[in-house]
Amino acid sequence: MPAVLSQPRSAPGAATDVSPQERPTAEGPWATAVHNDPVNLMSYVVYVFRRHFAYSRPVAEALMTQVHEEGRAIVSRGSRERMETDVQAMHSYGLRATLERAGED
Amino acid sequence: MAHAFRRRPDSTLACRLDGEEKAILAQVAQETAELIRTDLGIETGNGSLRRAARSEDPLQRLEAEFAAREAREPSDSAVRRLFPAASEDPELAAEYRRLGQQDLAEAKLADLRTVMSILDGSGPGHGEVVIDEEQAVVVLRALNDVRIVLADRLGLERDGDFDTVRMLQQIGERVEGASPEDDEHVGSEVVIAVYELLSWLQESLLRALD
Repeated sequence: MPAVLSQPRSAPGAATDVSPQERPTAEGPWATAVHNDPVNLMSYVVYVFRRHFAYSRPVAEALMTQVHEEGRAIVSRGSRERMETDVQAMHSYGLRATLERAGED
Repeated sequence: MAHAFRRRPDSTLACRLDGEEKAILAQVAQETAELIRTDLGIETGNGSLRRAARSEDPLQRLEAEFAAREAREPSDSAVRRLFPAASEDPELAAEYRRLGQQDLAEAKLADLRTVMSILDGSGPGHGEVVIDEEQAVVVLRALNDVRIVLADRLGLERDGDFDTVRMLQQIGERVEGASPEDDEHVGSEVVIAVYELLSWLQESLLRALD
């Protein structure tokens, strides 16, 4: 499969080596927030972010750390439909996620 | 005695579990599935809805249509954790439930069924449980869902709560004698042990996949 097809749709370039602060640049009116909880293992949260969003390990780890330390992190941005898909996927993995209007963060 | 997951030369993943561990895992997976079905009214609800939808009475058909569109809010605290509100806006959250909850429930039930059949397929006694990469994702999700239910029963709400629960257990808070919750405490020791086993298995599978 060409590499371009495995790129995450809502955060271009995230699968390659970009720093976490550069990541959520894709504009979109909606966002997916993941919230901290005492059950999910840190390694599991990193695994889920890498698998679902195809984020690189550093990006996935930075987001996990943000969830853990700040209580929440925006993990993707985009159209409402895409964010609904992301929230549903996070819930299927047992992560607590909410759909938000971008800019609420 | 359980042995951690490891990657085999043919790239499948394997762990070793004894008969009792397999039986406990199958049981908690089964109980989690039953809890989801009961709380969300999945089997019984659907059957009566389908009958009502075929009814001669137009009012009943209309009611069935509404009921099918109205996803039931989870009432059990553990099921609420498995099916959390997708928004702080109650209207948006309700709409989201209506559109997605049934699919999410079916996906979770399918994950749990897969785990039960993997365990069944590995035989009753001590032995190796072998899974491929695709099954590994399913196993990780299902283990996590069961851990979420157990965590709720243990009252884990914040980071570090499990350490507190275990510490209290080790101190032996039951030496105070027969309290009314005595049975509950005996039960919670089992829950703590199963929670630890599941956490350890999940972590070992993640490490093997890495």
